[in-house]
Amino acid sequence: MTNSDAITHDVIIVGAGLAGSWAAMIAAEQGVRDVAVLSKLHPLRSHSGAAQGGIAAALNNVRPVAGTGPRGPLEQIPEGEEPVDSPELHMFDTIKGSDWLGDQDAIEILVNDAIDVIYQYEHMGCVFSRTPDGRIAQRRFGGHSAPRANFAADWTGHVLLHTIHEQALKHGVKFYSEWYVMDVIIEDNIVRGVVAINILTGEVHLLRAKAVMFATGGYGRAFKITSNAFANTGDGVAIAYDAGAPLMDMEFVQFHPTGLYRHGILMSEACRGEGGYLLNKDGERFMEKYAPDKMELAPRDLVSRSEQREIDEGRGVMEDGQAIWLDLRHLGREKIMERLPQVRELAIDFAGVDPIEEPVPIQPTAHYSMGGIPTDNNGQVIADAQGTPIVGFYAAGEVACVSVHGANRLGTNSLLEASVFGRRAGYAIAEFIKNGAKLHPVTGDPAERNRRMIQEMLDNPGKELVEDIAQELKATMTANCGIFRDDEKLKRALKDVRELQERFKHARVMDKSRRFNTDLLAALETKHLLTFSEVIVTGALNRTESRGAHARTDYPKRDDENWLKHTLARKGEDGRPELSYKDVTIFWDRFPPQERKY
Amino acid sequence: MANNNRRTVTVRIQRFNPDADAKPHMQEYQVELVQGMTVLDALHEIKTHQDGGVTFRRSCRHAICGSCAMNINGRNTLACKTPLKNEIDKHGRVTIRPLPYLPIIKDLVVDRTTFWEEYLRVKPWLIPPDDIPEKEFRMSPEEVHALNNAETCIMCGACYSSCAVIGLNKKYIGPHALLKAFMRVLDPRDAAPAERLAEVSGADGVYRCHTIFNCIDACPKGLNPTQAIETLRKLAQKRQKYEQARRERQKHLNEPIP
Ligand SMILES: Cc1cc2nc3c(=O)[nH]c(=O)nc-3n(C[C@H](O)[C@H](O)[C@H](O)COP(=O)(O)OP(=O)(O)OC[C@H]3O[C@@H](n4cnc5c(N)ncnc54)[C@H](O)[C@@H]3O)c2cc1C
Ligand code: SF4
Ligand code: FES
Repeated sequence: MTNSDAITHDVIIVGAGLAGSWAAMIAAEQGVRDVAVLSKLHPLRSHSGAAQGGIAAALNNVRPVAGTGPRGPLEQIPEGEEPVDSPELHMFDTIKGSDWLGDQDAIEILVNDAIDVIYQYEHMGCVFSRTPDGRIAQRRFGGHSAPRANFAADWTGHVLLHTIHEQALKHGVKFYSEWYVMDVIIEDNIVRGVVAINILTGEVHLLRAKAVMFATGGYGRAFKITSNAFANTGDGVAIAYDAGAPLMDMEFVQFHPTGLYRHGILMSEACRGEGGYLLNKDGERFMEKYAPDKMELAPRDLVSRSEQREIDEGRGVMEDGQAIWLDLRHLGREKIMERLPQVRELAIDFAGVDPIEEPVPIQPTAHYSMGGIPTDNNGQVIADAQGTPIVGFYAAGEVACVSVHGANRLGTNSLLEASVFGRRAGYAIAEFIKNGAKLHPVTGDPAERNRRMIQEMLDNPGKELVEDIAQELKATMTANCGIFRDDEKLKRALKDVRELQERFKHARVMDKSRRFNTDLLAALETKHLLTFSEVIVTGALNRTESRGAHARTDYPKRDDENWLKHTLARKGEDGRPELSYKDVTIFWDRFPPQERKY
Repeated sequence: MANNNRRTVTVRIQRFNPDADAKPHMQEYQVELVQGMTVLDALHEIKTHQDGGVTFRRSCRHAICGSCAMNINGRNTLACKTPLKNEIDKHGRVTIRPLPYLPIIKDLVVDRTTFWEEYLRVKPWLIPPDDIPEKEFRMSPEEVHALNNAETCIMCGACYSSCAVIGLNKKYIGPHALLKAFMRVLDPRDAAPAERLAEVSGADGVYRCHTIFNCIDACPKGLNPTQAIETLRKLAQKRQKYEQARRERQKHLNEPIP
């Protein structure tokens, strides 16, 4: 299939979570007529819908009751009384949370756009929880110094996703549901289209467009215990990297402190936001030792490390001592039912424990991908440290790295990021199209190339099972590139990943049929895991410091002199990641690096 | 989480690839029952280690994305939320079929075209009033609470595929879409409740429902589409008055709830 028989659109957006749907909706609203969204899942199945706790914005609807201290109960702020929160404070919290690796210009945009984005969601029909006087309800979240997590009970992502999908439909966006993108075509630094499988028929198509946006979400599936959906296999990062785009800060992977023991399924941070405790086997609230001020509501990297320390030092719970108690009992039935109904059900369904009656066993779980495809503040993908654009190529949401989260994301900032930068990318794409963007030709036959690749995988008589390779990868990434890292572990991880890449060449796809071949898709996804895991490990091995979620026991200190910079990784001639570095944008007069204490 | 209560159990899966098979057939697999395992875990184990051809949808694995609705031992529900052991204890084995009343794409994957068409037909988006405030519309916690029953619907289709009316008539709007319509009709911010009520009380709408309650039994999120449908019926009968009341309410959407 060559240029003429390709499917064409003005804009192709890959991914229908918050980031992709916002961009599509805005581009359409701005008058771009031909906007198509491709998604390997039905849009409403996107992982954004799994987000529970909230979305940040300094709306100033609630404050702690006077005299009760920073952890006291919250009340609505009476009309006309002093605000307690501000975008500036949100900005500082985010910068500190990022361990100063976040770009401060991007963070400033994030916190300022936040307010407008939340109101826009509300005006579009999103059903938020409310204060008694009818404003959007807010709760506390880790690392935020004011209650600014706007929420809908504990199904916030679900209502946001449904709202934005409805709006995209209303604006006439065309959805290709259950289409799997496997390649992006970039020639001479200009994007030309994508290659995708129509999952239903198994046919491989070339789709050409003037602008292509990636909004494919995160890469948590490279780890054994994870809160992420099956779909979060980092396809977008791997595909972009294979096509020559750089990846930024991939070594920063967030481990969330409260995944259900053994399952990894998330018990929202809202549990602690609402006042839940973390206890070790002696019933101690051990966070007293690690973050005496913020306690359980210290940022995630710190809490996860504290839990892991307790576990490693023999104070974990359950038979194998690999868990910690999350205790909600003192919140009482009413509050749990009102504020954390989904969390309660998850604990009952998956751990057989009712949090109203018993503490819930939890453990750290791979949760969020700080790294991704580097972009400017309008979603434009950049090719290098100087910011050279890859023309027509955009990215936003968890797949992208703007970077607002730096070395560690604060909870509720990523639904926000996906929304704010998805929206900005939508405007930027509309501009780009209206300014006369062209459909650029593709050289050769990329669809045929991908078809042959698939055929080779299907014909491979190899002895390896895809799943075994995936499991071994997850095991080594968790053990050697997890919460605590060191030189020796990381070298082992790198060796393992490369061996697994070799073994993958002998992997067998069991299902040979064309129609809805999810066995083949799992193989492609595993290939992607193997591709970007090498980048994560390489970045981690080189970064000889500890910063945010990247904790090296052999280099326990942050090292601003040498490492206050982003990692850029590009696929080299030999197929191995080649690293370079990029400056962090810092407003030295306003937010110079400080020690990060909670 | 002891390993000593491991045992091998039988999982029967309905297989069908229209490209290759004349009609659906059942196939049996054995899996080791591990403590805490869900039906989805069992399917995953079969797919990844025994027979990669076994095809189903899944993503979130914790009952929020709506992908994995299927018919398990005769009941429509989410595979990821169904403990394998419960099914074995009750039925001795697990029999898994695709959701009924829908064309089969492959094995447990069904074609949901009509399901999504009906969703679109009720215009799931909010139709806001003309006067948009600078900040949020004010809604009381009670007004929000009234929407909870609909708002948490994950569009899994378990209800749709257990609805006897759908079984006979694919033009029926269906419990999922009526629940969505209910959510918009009840939302004080929606400016077009009368129009919506007219749409859902047409020939394919709320009067088709025979209140058999299958949808309630099926819903894995504990929602009550039948009740929503009944509410819509009542409101439809006085829709002009209801619209009038809505207009009154909307005069105060920018003011604090007293
Ligand atoms: C359990 C959980 C709870 C969370 N809670 C919160 C919270 O309370 N607050 C918060 O701020 N953040 C939270 N997060 C993080 C947040 O939900 C995500 O970062 C955010 O939703 C990502 O949105 P996205 O649009 O980038 O991607 P996603 O919503 O993941 O969407 C990705 C899209 O890309 C598509 N796609 C992927 N690969 C391909 C491909 N190869 N071809 C075609 N399509 C493809 C998918 O089908 C999907 O539509 C949570 C995350 C998890 C895992
Ligand atoms: S009402 Fe219940 S069963 Fe029906 S689609 Fe919604 S969640 Fe599924
Ligand atoms: S896998 Fe998402 S609902 Fe079951």
